[in-house]
Amino acid sequence: MKQNLIPEQRVLSEVTKAISEGIDINPVRVKPESSLIKDLGAESLDFLDINYRLEQTFGIKMARRSVLDHMEELFGEESAIDSDGKLTDKAAKVLALRYDGSGEQIQAGMDMDELPAMVTVSSITEGVMNLLDSLAEKCVNCGAQNWSLKDETRINCASCGEEATFTSGDDLIQIWLNQIQEDKKIF
Amino acid sequence: MLRNRKRVVVTGYGMITPIGKNSQETFENAKNGVSGIDLLSSFETQGLPCRIGGQVDDSWLNAFPAQGLQGIEKCNSRGLKLMISAVSEAVESARLNSIENRDRIGVSLGYHGENPSVEDMLTLYRYGGKDVWDIRGLTANGVYSFFNFFRRKPDVATSILSILFNCRGSNITTVSACAAGAQAIGEALGIIREGRADVMIAGGCESNLNFSGFIGFVLIRALSERYSSPEKASRPFDRKRNGFVMSEGAGSLVLESLDHALERKAPILAEVLGYGSSADAFRITDIHPKGDGAVFAMQGALADAGLAPGDIDYINAHGTSTVQNDQIETLAIKRIWGERAKEISVSSNKSMIGHTIAAAGAIEAGLTIMGLNTSVLLPTINYEFADPKCDLDYVPNLAREQVHEIALSNSFGFGGQNACLCFGKFRQ
Repeated sequence: MKQNLIPEQRVLSEVTKAISEGIDINPVRVKPESSLIKDLGAESLDFLDINYRLEQTFGIKMARRSVLDHMEELFGEESAIDSDGKLTDKAAKVLALRYDGSGEQIQAGMDMDELPAMVTVSSITEGVMNLLDSLAEKCVNCGAQNWSLKDETRINCASCGEEATFTSGDDLIQIWLNQIQEDKKIF
Repeated sequence: MLRNRKRVVVTGYGMITPIGKNSQETFENAKNGVSGIDLLSSFETQGLPCRIGGQVDDSWLNAFPAQGLQGIEKCNSRGLKLMISAVSEAVESARLNSIENRDRIGVSLGYHGENPSVEDMLTLYRYGGKDVWDIRGLTANGVYSFFNFFRRKPDVATSILSILFNCRGSNITTVSACAAGAQAIGEALGIIREGRADVMIAGGCESNLNFSGFIGFVLIRALSERYSSPEKASRPFDRKRNGFVMSEGAGSLVLESLDHALERKAPILAEVLGYGSSADAFRITDIHPKGDGAVFAMQGALADAGLAPGDIDYINAHGTSTVQNDQIETLAIKRIWGERAKEISVSSNKSMIGHTIAAAGAIEAGLTIMGLNTSVLLPTINYEFADPKCDLDYVPNLAREQVHEIALSNSFGFGGQNACLCFGKFRQ
């Protein structure tokens, strides 16, 4: 269910903090449109570090695998990346739906090596928002529907104190992709 | 300079790998494209995103040759046990035992020591860690062996090898991830050239298929997590590669100055022509995007050997099956050989053996030499889908009979430590 305890602005500031601490740069450099790789110089270990920080902050589980990985698993090999290592038309359509308006234009035929550079501060923020919006209807412990905020970023049950549960990042991507496929019949 | 330098030859080799208890068995299986990768049974992997690896059959490990030697056996980590098997084979083939004066025989080992076991850590925690240490309880008979401490220290393994094989010369340990085995051989080459030893037992060993050794590689997502079956997971240079497969093993060479080898009529199996070593000086796990470190290491080995790129017939690639390594290693080869890169055969033993980390460079050195002597290029198995960025001749799937004279063997470590060895058929 859509949560309304943590506003997007708050998520953005936590993402900014995780990135600036993860990469060890001044937070003023971290703009919503900044590409982590191109603008902020992130390396592969930084992404793991940033994900870990966000998981600790919000009690969520970030996706281990990319949207393209999931696409290939659900819709067949080479459905996302063709045999030349280029983004397929269908995958470009899906990504455009997912990252609508954020960062650079995603185009079919892009080299898969260019894709990691398209991860921006706002695309991560959007990802975290989606995870938070997968908040379970009811507390798994006491069944109450009475969520409250603790320590500003952790949602827990106001009735019993149990931590809130969210869908994992990987599951959420698969659910989303299946929904898109049902609506748009892209694959 | 080359003319005045001591020539160094290989007079013995030995190995133990997931596909063979010795060199011959490993080479034959590699030639037939046999994979040593399977579901892991060495520890519980349920729930992990990668559950496969290359284990060495326990029954292949040699009986410890120093039973009864006070304490030594207790320092014996699994990695060292593997190494003892490999060194025993190498020493026997080099007929090293016939040398009476042991003062100028050294040991150069690439190893990281044994990872602490869960039981080990739990015991320490029980007697300390959470509160005031109970040192009387901890040191009570049968509670905790201080030998566990020695098992974790890589230097102790090198020291034990010197005791077991009676080598009183230079004794050095190299700790440099996937480059360790090759660096141990390269540094041994330097020691002999400089006259600091006549003979060096050199190589590397690794046994990481356990709770604390494996999990770090899972966390940094270096391992293959998508595979149709275990034996298909290690697929260097293939477009569907998605990480390396962890294996255990050991490899050893006996290096010797040519004069010394000739004098004692030792079998001469190959010549070590050159060694290059470099650092990316870039990032912890990312490789330099243009492959600078790899290029410098290969150029270094060529320069050290006094050879031009055109003299090389075959490259035993690092070829880990990670997206990054195989693409950048290919790029680095193209930067040196240019248009001619496609004429050189390049293959990865890791497609069959998996990645034995500190042992890899030493095992691959042995297999490279065996290939030179039998005119066989070992294949890169699981090569099914061409990657447009990896467009060299990888000796796909089937071994090839081809006379070749001079080969390079690459080993590139996490952290950008790079080593390249150059071997040639022995010519008087």
